[in-house]
Amino acid sequence: MKLLMVSVGEGRYAVPADAVAQIVDPALESDFHLEDAEAVYRGERLPLLDLHEAAGERRGPSPVYLLLEGARRRVVIAVDGAEAIREVPAGDIAPLPAFIFARPRRSFRGVFSDGRDPRLVLDEEGIL
Amino acid sequence: MSDVTTGPRLIGFRVGSAGAALPIGIVREVTERPRVVRVPGSHEFVSGVVLHGGVALPVYDLRRFEPLWSRPDACAPPGADAGHLIVCDWGEVALGVLGDRVDLVEEAVADEGRGESATAPYGMSEAYVKRVLRRDGEAIVLLDTDRLFASLGVPAAQPRARRRDGEDDPAGG
Repeated sequence: MKLLMVSVGEGRYAVPADAVAQIVDPALESDFHLEDAEAVYRGERLPLLDLHEAAGERRGPSPVYLLLEGARRRVVIAVDGAEAIREVPAGDIAPLPAFIFARPRRSFRGVFSDGRDPRLVLDEEGIL
Repeated sequence: MSDVTTGPRLIGFRVGSAGAALPIGIVREVTERPRVVRVPGSHEFVSGVVLHGGVALPVYDLRRFEPLWSRPDACAPPGADAGHLIVCDWGEVALGVLGDRVDLVEEAVADEGRGESATAPYGMSEAYVKRVLRRDGEAIVLLDTDRLFASLGVPAAQPRARRRDGEDDPAGG
């Protein structure tokens, strides 16, 4: 599956590329701003999921924003860097046990080996 | 009164400043602590996961599992993270427990039993203690794995060592 490799603080994650509708750089996109816990993009108010807070990380000085699109809703996630898109065989992604999560809806669904550190895969079904 | 008995083999380790033990029948291996990846949204006592043989192995830091401790200072981490990972098979799942000074506990140990009077000095809640053993003057608490793992959210299952017909877990875990 195609995955977009991103960084959030010191954490390294992967987002299923099919779920990424757009990567928005506020420095280049004037019609994007944040209001409270929402992102406003081209007049549309979108939920802003704070992965930094969930991961206990500080937001970097120049985040970019992923606009994720699912069947039910669109959300925005701030990341500190979008590095590359890579093809990772589905069989290389080990599913995360559901019982480790504090809530039924979870943000991550798998992990795969990516060089020195394993990388977590975002669960688009859990957040969209 | 303590009874000195020849006990089954256990895996002993330190959790913070407390001595603990698990039945060896559920321990698949002990490794040096690998790089643990934190998983946002997981329970506080889950340190994260490691990739172990292609499987995402959940790693538990028992110091962070508050119900285990009747006295918070008993689990006070001296600073450094635990140096070893104890990989356990629990039914159909595998899990890792972080610990220090891992070794075998066997042969003659003094069994102090169980109960508030036996467990209180070691700061562990009686509910998670199967027995308190003593070796060379050091207390080792044999953890009640059924109750502990259930409380950690690990799916209930009989450990493989006890699923064989006619074979009991020698450590009573």
